[in-house]
Amino acid sequence: MNCLEVRELLPELAVGVLSSEDHERVERHLQWCAGCRKEATDLGAAAATFAFALEPAPVPQGLGDRVVSRVRRAAGTPGTPRRARMAAAAVAAAMVAVASLGWGAAMAGRADRFAERAERAEREQAAALERFQRVLAGVIPGQELPDDETHLGQLRPVAGGSGGGAVLQLVSPTILDFVMVTVSGLDPAETAALPYRVRLENSGGDVLRAGRIDELDADGGADVFHEFKTADLSGYTTVTVVDASGEVVLSGVVDQSA
Amino acid sequence: MDPRPDGPLLAREEQQLVEGLLAGNEDAVRALYARYARPIFTLGLRLLGSAEAAEELTQDVFLAAWRKAARFDPSRGRLSTWLMTIAHNLAVDRLRRETGVTRPRLVLVDQVPEVLGPDEDEVLMERDVAIRALQSLSDAEKQLLARAYFGGLTAREISEADHIPLGTVKTRLRTALIKVRRANQDKERP
Repeated sequence: MNCLEVRELLPELAVGVLSSEDHERVERHLQWCAGCRKEATDLGAAAATFAFALEPAPVPQGLGDRVVSRVRRAAGTPGTPRRARMAAAAVAAAMVAVASLGWGAAMAGRADRFAERAERAEREQAAALERFQRVLAGVIPGQELPDDETHLGQLRPVAGGSGGGAVLQLVSPTILDFVMVTVSGLDPAETAALPYRVRLENSGGDVLRAGRIDELDADGGADVFHEFKTADLSGYTTVTVVDASGEVVLSGVVDQSA
Repeated sequence: MDPRPDGPLLAREEQQLVEGLLAGNEDAVRALYARYARPIFTLGLRLLGSAEAAEELTQDVFLAAWRKAARFDPSRGRLSTWLMTIAHNLAVDRLRRETGVTRPRLVLVDQVPEVLGPDEDEVLMERDVAIRALQSLSDAEKQLLARAYFGGLTAREISEADHIPLGTVKTRLRTALIKVRRANQDKERP
């Protein structure tokens, strides 16, 4: 899909009436095309104006408590141990760092100008790691986190499938090890493929479960975060996302040597 | 948690709130709710036609925002726009799954019926800006955008209903959106 075709569809994307098929195609283009992304952002902001122009309606009493309760339950915040909670707080910006790799990085291997794209992906990866380091250092005061404790990898589709993703691992002697996986571009309409499961494997064939994806957003995206209270992630460098039937849909390798 | 309860948020403040939301921080969720629940609920009421459905939508929007929080990028637009886009997409998805939904009369420009809380000042400002921006449109442009945004009609459906070329509908949609965007541009983030 080229820019001309995408721009023709952007007004309908902005007002939310694009078919799911076109929506997916446009979103894929927007992942790497800054010009079209800017246009989409501008048109989307204009469309949202309509929502704000409505006469405000009174909100039911108690709705705020119900919203807070639902989000907190989903986030699993109550009763989290101190070390785990500190790490979980770091997830906020770390996820941003990982998500920023998303499609741009995942598509690097499929692009025509491979070298150029790969170089850009590498720069993005370094920047993402740097952001992550800064955030984690801020969240855990006094905790020096050497560069060699955080590792990134990219997920690519298997056997001509769609989607991509990024993986961030923390392998540390002082903080609980964790892994974050961000996927995008999977087919949200293919509900039979749910749940997806994320697995980590070492060279000896040992497998750790890193979480499951029960639903995808409209972009075919989802995030998984898993903290390992006992396991050490050293050597668990192969990351796979498998669908409900056990087929591998995305795979990648985390470079723990960096 | 909400650093500026009486005015628009700076980009870094929006980012802080979103990070708090991602961590499930109650203060962050309450701050976001105080600012944005009302327009979200209102949009739900307008699109889905009942307070029950609008309440469900409001809960779903905050939950979806928590799920997507890692992808929020302040350089790609304001938090309010991001939340309203989530709300609109969820509502339209629901509408497409359901039939026979009765919707209340569309009221775009009217007096605010009651005093809002201090956290909702931004909502009032957003509405003021929105109303002024929509005044830059002709009645035909307002109707066109409303049929798509509130009615869920695609450009093709409008083209067939009005017997005008599809390309013309798309061009008019884009032109109208750009007019609104330009009218909004003086009121960008402080």
